[in-house]
Amino acid sequence: MDSQHLNPSSLKSRFTARFLRALIKINAQKPISSSSPREIFQRYRRIKVAADKSMAYSVRSRRTWSRATLWKLRSQSRRRLASSGRRSSIKTRTTTTTTITTTSTNHRAAIVEKTSHEKENKEDHVGLAVQAEELRELVPGGESMDLCNLLDETAHYIKCLTTQVQVMKKIANLYSLE
Amino acid sequence: MEKDKAFMSEELKNRTTTRQQQPAWNPCGFMTEMSTNELNCGTEQVGNYFFNPNWENSMDQSDPFESALSSMVSSPAASNVGSGENVMMRELIGKLWNICNSKDIITNSTNASSYSTPLNSPPFSTDPGFAERAARFSCFGGLNDPLRDSLKLSGHVNGTQTIKNSTLSRSSSPENAESGVSKEESSVSEQLPGGNNKKRKSIPRGKAKETPSPATVDAKVAAENNDESNAKRSKQNGTVKASNKEDSKPPEPPKDYIHVRARRGQATDSHSLAERVRREKISERMKFLQDLVPGCNKVTGKAVMLDEIINYVQSLQRQVEFLSMKLATVNPRMDVNMETLLSKDMFQSRGLLPHAVYSMEPTFPFGYQPQQGLALNNGIANTTSQQGFQLPQVNGFIDGNPQVGSIWEDDLQSIVQMGFGQNQAQCYQGKSIIQHPNYTRIRVGITQSIDPFFVWCRFNSSRPSEN
Repeated sequence: MDSQHLNPSSLKSRFTARFLRALIKINAQKPISSSSPREIFQRYRRIKVAADKSMAYSVRSRRTWSRATLWKLRSQSRRRLASSGRRSSIKTRTTTTTTITTTSTNHRAAIVEKTSHEKENKEDHVGLAVQAEELRELVPGGESMDLCNLLDETAHYIKCLTTQVQVMKKIANLYSLE
Repeated sequence: MEKDKAFMSEELKNRTTTRQQQPAWNPCGFMTEMSTNELNCGTEQVGNYFFNPNWENSMDQSDPFESALSSMVSSPAASNVGSGENVMMRELIGKLWNICNSKDIITNSTNASSYSTPLNSPPFSTDPGFAERAARFSCFGGLNDPLRDSLKLSGHVNGTQTIKNSTLSRSSSPENAESGVSKEESSVSEQLPGGNNKKRKSIPRGKAKETPSPATVDAKVAAENNDESNAKRSKQNGTVKASNKEDSKPPEPPKDYIHVRARRGQATDSHSLAERVRREKISERMKFLQDLVPGCNKVTGKAVMLDEIINYVQSLQRQVEFLSMKLATVNPRMDVNMETLLSKDMFQSRGLLPHAVYSMEPTFPFGYQPQQGLALNNGIANTTSQQGFQLPQVNGFIDGNPQVGSIWEDDLQSIVQMGFGQNQAQCYQGKSIIQHPNYTRIRVGITQSIDPFFVWCRFNSSRPSEN
C-alpha cells in the first residue's frame, strides 16, 4: 500500500504529525488505565484543543478561521494560566490579557460594526441572514466577514475539518486495535 | 515555452499578493477582471487573467477544486485533457509570434479557421499576450451559461467595432467587401466555441485595441462597415453600450474593479451591476460548497443549501469532539507504535494493519445523509431525549460510582446525545455501544459502529427553531 503515500507537505500530513506529537505528549503525562473520569475529561479537553490547534497551525495564518482559532486558543491558555494560581505574576498577565482582549474586542467590535453596515448596504439576500448568522457562529472568525468571504472560509474550513476527522478516526482505529 | 508557464505562475503569485478585494476563486471573477486597461499592457498582464486562488498557494491536486482550477488553466474546462491542449496552445502562441513578426496576416487570413486546427492559427494580433489570452479564452468555451454572462468585458468603444463587425459578418452572411481583417477576427470569434454571440463579441471587443498597426489600412474599410454595424447593434443592445461607456471610464484606473456588462433588459446602474456580480460570486461559492458537502446535489435554493452546510459543519465539529473523547479514553498501549508511525508516513497504516479494514474511510458519506430520513442500520431503541449539551453530565459522574463500565455508559450516552443534539436523539447506535459495559468490548464496539454512529440522519434535533 505504498501508493497511499501522500505529499509530505500536504495539509493532512502536517496535521497528522503535529497532532500525533501532541497526543504522545498528552498521553505521557498520565497513564490512562487508572484515570478517574475527571482526568479523562481533562484529557479529552486537552486532546480537543491539541487537535484544533494543530489543524490551525497546519494552515498557518493563511485563513481567517485559522487565525481566529489560534487567537482564541492562545487567549484561553493565557486565561487559564492566569487563573491557575500564580498570584504575583497574575496581575501583570491579567492586565496584559485584559488589554489585549479589550483592544481586540474593540477592534473586533469595530470590524463587526463596519462590516454589518457594509452588509446592510450590499446584502441583497435578506432571507439568508439567519443562516448566515448561524454559519458565522460556527466558523471561527466568521463574525467579521460578508457572505462571500464567509462561504469561502466555510469551504476551506469544511475541507480541513474532514481531514481532521479522517486522521483522528485512523488514529483512534489504531489505538483500539491490538 | 516553459518559461511562459513559469512566468504565468509568477504573475499568479504576484497577483495573489496584490489582490485585495478579489477572493475571486471563480472563473467569472477571473474573466471579469479583464479590463482593456490590462489588455493594453501586453504579456506582462498575462498573469492577471490567471485564476487567483485564495486557497493554499501550493497546488494541492487532491483538492477537487484546485484540480479543476489547474485543469481550467491549462486546458479546456470541459475536459481535463491536460498536456495535449497545453502543447497545442503553446504551438498556437508560437505560431502567433512568428506570424506577427512576418506580417503575413492577410495571406493567412483565409487559412485562419477554428481553434481545432491550431497550426492555422489566427494571424492578426501584434500583441503576444493577446495570443495567449485568446488561446485561454478558448478554454472557457465549455463554461456554462451563468459564467458566460459574466464574461462581458467593457471595452473601448473604438476598437470594438472592428471585431463587432467581424462577428456580424460571421453570424450573418460574410460580407466579402470587407478585407481580411474581418475574416481574421471572425476566425478569432470562431475560436471561442460556444454559441453565445454576446460573449464572442465582448471578448474580441477587448482585444480590438490590439490590432492597430496591421489593420490600419483595413480599419478604414472596416470603419465604414462599423457604423452600419453600430447602428444595427445599438438597436439591439442599447443598454449594453451605455453601461459599457459607463463602466469603461470610472473603473479603469483602479484595476481591482470588476468590469461587468449589463445584460439586455436589465438595470444598468452601478449598484445593480455590483449586486449582480456579488450574487454570481455567491452562487459560484455555493456550487462549490455543494460539491464539498455530500448529498447536496438534489438540494436547490440557497437557504436550504446553507442549512445543509451548517448542519454538516456542526456534524463535523461534533465528530471531532467525539473522536477526541474517544482518544482520551482509549488506552494507548501502543505508544511505541505511535512513535514509529510518526517517523514513517502515517498513511501507510492501512498496509500495516491489514485487519483494520473497517471501511472507515468511505463511510462518512453514508453517515452524512441530509434530509434523507433515518438511515440507520441497526434498529435500536431511542434514547431518552435530553435537552442541551450533555457534557456537563460528564462532570456529574465524578460524584457517581467510579466503575469503569457505568462511567462508560454514561459517558457514551452523554456523548451520543451531545452528538445528536437536543430533541430527537436519534443516536441509536449509542445504545448498542452502551450495551457493552466491558471496557475492551466498548472500544471495539465503538470502532465497529462508529460510522453508523455518525449517521447524521436529520438535524431537526439540532435546529429546532426551523421547520
